[in-house]
Amino acid sequence: MLMNFDKLGAWRWILSGICALMALFLLLPILFIVALSFGNSRWLIFPPPGWTLKWYGDLFADPRWLQAAFTSAKIAAIVMVLSVAIGLLASLALVRGRFRGRAVLRGFFLTPMVLPVVIIAVALYAAFLRLGLNGTLVGFVIAHLIVALPFAIITISGALETFDPAIEDAAILCGANPWEARFRVTLPAISHGLFSAAIFSFLISWDEVVLAIFMASPTLQTLPVKVWTTLRQDLTPVIAAASTLLVLLTVVLMIAAALIRKGKSR
Amino acid sequence: MTSPYLHINGIRKTFGDVVATDHVELEIGEGEFMTFLGPSGSGKSTTLYILAGFQDPTAGDIRLRGKSILQTPSHKRNIGMVFQRYTLFPHLSVGENVAFPLRVRRAPQAEIAAKVKRALSLVRLDGFEERMPANMSGGQQQRVALARALVYDPPVLLMDEPLSALDKKLREEIQYEIRRIHQQTGVTILYVTHDQEEALRLSDRIAVFNRGRIEQVGTGPELYASPATHFVADFIGDSAFLTGELAEVKDGRATLRFNDGTHLADVPMHGAGARGGKAELMLRPERIDLSDAAGPQGASLPVTVEDVTFLGNNSAVTARTGWGDPLYIRLNFGHPMMGSVGRGDKLHVRWQPQDAHVFPKA
Ligand SMILES: Nc1ncnc2c1ncn2[C@@H]1O[C@H](COP(=O)(O)OP(=O)(O)O)[C@@H](O)[C@H]1O
Ligand SMILES: [Mg+2]
Repeated sequence: MLMNFDKLGAWRWILSGICALMALFLLLPILFIVALSFGNSRWLIFPPPGWTLKWYGDLFADPRWLQAAFTSAKIAAIVMVLSVAIGLLASLALVRGRFRGRAVLRGFFLTPMVLPVVIIAVALYAAFLRLGLNGTLVGFVIAHLIVALPFAIITISGALETFDPAIEDAAILCGANPWEARFRVTLPAISHGLFSAAIFSFLISWDEVVLAIFMASPTLQTLPVKVWTTLRQDLTPVIAAASTLLVLLTVVLMIAAALIRKGKSR
Repeated sequence: MTSPYLHINGIRKTFGDVVATDHVELEIGEGEFMTFLGPSGSGKSTTLYILAGFQDPTAGDIRLRGKSILQTPSHKRNIGMVFQRYTLFPHLSVGENVAFPLRVRRAPQAEIAAKVKRALSLVRLDGFEERMPANMSGGQQQRVALARALVYDPPVLLMDEPLSALDKKLREEIQYEIRRIHQQTGVTILYVTHDQEEALRLSDRIAVFNRGRIEQVGTGPELYASPATHFVADFIGDSAFLTGELAEVKDGRATLRFNDGTHLADVPMHGAGARGGKAELMLRPERIDLSDAAGPQGASLPVTVEDVTFLGNNSAVTARTGWGDPLYIRLNFGHPMMGSVGRGDKLHVRWQPQDAHVFPKA
C-alpha cells in the first residue's frame, strides 16, 4: 500500500470531508427530485411549502405514463435476456477459444462503451431508416443491446476467467456430456456473473435516453423519453414522481447486484 | 496369448513441432498401481490426457481388456480421474459432488445415497455431505475428488500429481491413504508424479519418463538396483558418475580406461557402446566401501582421501580418483576404518560386482 489511511493524521479528516462533499454533490439532484415529487407546489418550488401524494395519483391515473413504463420494462427485459445469452456465447469464445485475432475481437465487442452514444444513435437511425426499424420494438431492442452487450461481456468473461476449465473436464470424465457439463457445472458456477450481467443490461436499457429519443415514435415511448418530452411541454411535478420511481427501481437493482457480488466473495 | 488389462500401445503425440510423447508402450495389469515418474515436460500428463480422451494421439492405440477405447468419447469411457488442481464443483456440496457421476448416470436415489456414504467413508470423510468445497482444506478437497472418481467403480483411476499443491507432511499422510484405498478397492491406478520418493512409496511398478519416452519400467528395487540408462540411475537414488573410454566391449560387459591409464575390467554394460567411445561408470555412495586392500578385478578403484567429516551415525568421506574425479563415500558408525581414516590416505573403494553399471555417453 502506498498510503496507509490510519497513519495519515489530520489528512484523514480532510480526505473524509472531501469524500462526503463528493457524495453529497452526486446525491443532491436525486434528493432534490424526490423532495419535489412529494411537494404540493405546482411550480416545483424548493423547499416545498407542503407535502402531498397528488402527483403520484396523477401519474398512476394517466395511461400514457403507465404505457411508457410498461414499454420500458418490456424492452429492458428483452434486452436483458438477449444480452446475457449473447454475452455468454461471446465470452465462451473470447475466454476459452484459441484462435487468431481474439484480442482484436474482444476490443471490437467493447467499442460501444467508448463510442459517444449520440454517434451510435445517428448511425443506427440512418441504418434503420432503410430497414424500417425506427419506432419499432425490434429497433429499440437492437439499439439498447448494442450498448448493454459490452457490460455483459465484461462481467461474464470475468466470471469465466476465474473458473478453471479443468472443473468442466472433471464433470465430463464423471460421465456428463460436454453440454451437460456446461449446463450443470459451468453455468451454475458462474451464475453470479450471469446475474450481474442481467441486472446491468436491464438497467442500461431501463434508463437509457439518447438512443431511445432517436428510436421513439408517438406510439412507442420508454419512460425516460416520456419524461423528456413531457418536460419540454409542461413543467409538472408528475415528472418528479416518475423520475423518483425510475430512480427507485435503479437503486433496488443496484443493491441486488451488490448483494450478489458480496455473496460471491464471501 | 491373453491380452493385457490395459495396453498403451505405441502412443505418439505431437503439438506442432513439439513431440510430447513418443512410442510410449506399456502394459498394465488389472489392479496394478503404476506410476509415471519423470521431470516436468516429459510427457506424463499428455499420456494421461490421451487415456482420458481429452487429447487424441497422433499415432498409437489404447486398449482396455483388448478393446480400443480411442473412439469412445471421454464421458463414456467411465474412467476416474483426480486432477492436479482442485476440481470440485464449487456450487455443489460435498455429497452432491460425489453424487454427480451417479446422477448423470440416472442411478436410483437409494443407490446414490448408499454409494455416496460408502465413498466418503472410504476417504475418511464420513458426515461431510453438507459441507461446501470452499470451506475445506486442500487435502480434504482432494480426498473428496478421489471419492467422486471412485464412486462409479471405474476400470482405471488416473491421478495427475494430485498432491503437488499440498505441503510435505500432509502429502505423506494422503500417500498412505491412497495406498490403503488401492489395497481396499483393488482399482487399477495410473499415477503421475515428479517426486521419486512418492513414486517409490506408492507404486507396484514405475515407468520412468524422459523427453516423451519411457526409459525403463520396473519395481522400485529393480530400478534402483539395475537402472537401464544414465537418466534412470540419476533420477532414482543418489549416484556418482565417472567418465572414461571403452577399451573393450564383449557380451554385455565392458572394460573402461580412465584418463590416468587406470583400467577397470568386466563391468556390466547397458545400452550400445562401441570400442573407443566415451562411457560412464555409475556407483551409489551407499553401496561402496573403503578399504586398505584392492578388491577383485572390476570391483575396486584406488583413491586418495581428501576430507573426512564426522556426522554422528556416519562419516562422509570425500576421495579423489587417480585422474581427479571426486567420489563420496559414507562410512557407517562402527566401520573398521572410521576414526583411522584421514587426509591423504591412499586407499581403495570397493563394491559388489552387481552394483556398478556402465552407460555409454552420447
Ligand atoms: N496443449 C499443448 N500444446 C502444446 N504443447 C503441449 C501441450 N500440452 C503439452 N505440451 C508439451 O508437451 C510436452 C509434455 O508435456 P506434459 O505431458 O504436460 O509433461 P509432464 O506432465 O510430464 O510435465 C511439454 O514439452 C509441453 O510443453
Ligand atoms: Mg504434468
